[in-house]
Amino acid sequence: MKRFLLLGVFAAAGCQGLQNLDVSSMTGGRINSNVDLTKVAKGVNQVRKGFSEISESEEYYIGRAVAAQVLTRYKPLNDPGLNAYAQKVTQAVALASDRPSTYKGYHVQVLASDEINAFAAPGGFIFVTKGMLELVRSEDELAGVLAHEVAHIAKKHGLKTIQTSRLTSAFTILGSEAAKNYTPQQVSQLTTAFEGAVDDVVNKLVVNGYSRDKEYEADKFGAQYAKAANYDPGALKAFLERMEKAEGSGGGGMFKTHPSPAKRETELGDLSPAPGYKRSSERGRRFSAAVQL
Amino acid sequence: MIHRLLIAFALALTAAAAYASTITVLVQQTALRKRPQSYSPSVGTAKLGQRFESSGLEAGFHKTPAGYIHSSAVTERKVKLGSADSVGGSASAEEVTLAGKGFNAQVEKSYGAKNGEVNFAAVNAMERRSVPEAELFDFLRAGGLMGEGGSK
Repeated sequence: MKRFLLLGVFAAAGCQGLQNLDVSSMTGGRINSNVDLTKVAKGVNQVRKGFSEISESEEYYIGRAVAAQVLTRYKPLNDPGLNAYAQKVTQAVALASDRPSTYKGYHVQVLASDEINAFAAPGGFIFVTKGMLELVRSEDELAGVLAHEVAHIAKKHGLKTIQTSRLTSAFTILGSEAAKNYTPQQVSQLTTAFEGAVDDVVNKLVVNGYSRDKEYEADKFGAQYAKAANYDPGALKAFLERMEKAEGSGGGGMFKTHPSPAKRETELGDLSPAPGYKRSSERGRRFSAAVQL
Repeated sequence: MIHRLLIAFALALTAAAAYASTITVLVQQTALRKRPQSYSPSVGTAKLGQRFESSGLEAGFHKTPAGYIHSSAVTERKVKLGSADSVGGSASAEEVTLAGKGFNAQVEKSYGAKNGEVNFAAVNAMERRSVPEAELFDFLRAGGLMGEGGSK
């Protein structure tokens, strides 16, 4: 009997673990819409405070606007075969990453620019220039380049560049309403906060570049994703060596916003391929067919 | 001896039950896989807001009766589903996504009107380029990238 009682105690403890924590009970639940907005804004018990509390859907909309800004500054390359090929390689490495699904997935666009550059906007939007692709010699190298961009997205580097004050402002506006649609005034206030957030990310991506730590982190995780996708992670090193030579011939783009290729090479960790790695003539064939620049 | 076995059984039961949780999908759609591997074939599709019972994590995937689902696409936090009017200042990021609030299509439209030069049409074209899983797996297989335990 004593044994059964003991069993019962353990079982009950286990069942307790089945119950989820009710966030609503901790946060005070819903807010009445028929109240003074200024009072609510002051008194609201905000759950969301910083970039880590930006929702999946909000990340997607920020990323779309950042992508729209990039595609205003750079003309998209109209090469359906090349874009489709880059899309497949992107999805291959993204699937092997620690964030295989974003709100609406990963998408890539080749840019008609001779500048050597690549960008990753929040939510899954990736850009690589024609100039960058001219330096790439194989599908494995391309996978390394795209995996680096996937890592920026998976690690939310873009979102981390948004000033906290903009998010506080947006979250406060959200906290002051509970209607199905925003009023014109609320939309206007949210749009201002949104615009600021988008500008923060665009400035970081295109003008200033991420910090060195973020670039090294993207290299490290990019190599891991390429390896997990059964590409040769060492191909990224070969590509960086070629970039180093290109850097010697001058130019802005990535050289202006990234640490030197030589320094990045030394920061890369273990580049041994996965046990399942195979060389493939088909990868060489389709790379040559798609990347004809 | 029996006493020890019973305690061990109870401990195992407790550990399993303690991990069990309800998970909610936070992306538009993601694959339910046959095995806890990225390149394992999908056995179904999980959609935004769908809930599943997870009996534990294996290699970053939740094990559910419908298949394995990647942990990055779901939340284990309890979220209120349904009407947008439940989303007030106390809403979590998860609830904001499920209710379509915060920075959303309405805000993007206003942003687009204010910044007429930005190229959302090119972004829409980019988003249409997604490759279906079957085609992607054919690409991986042809390129010798589908490792052990991969699809088929």
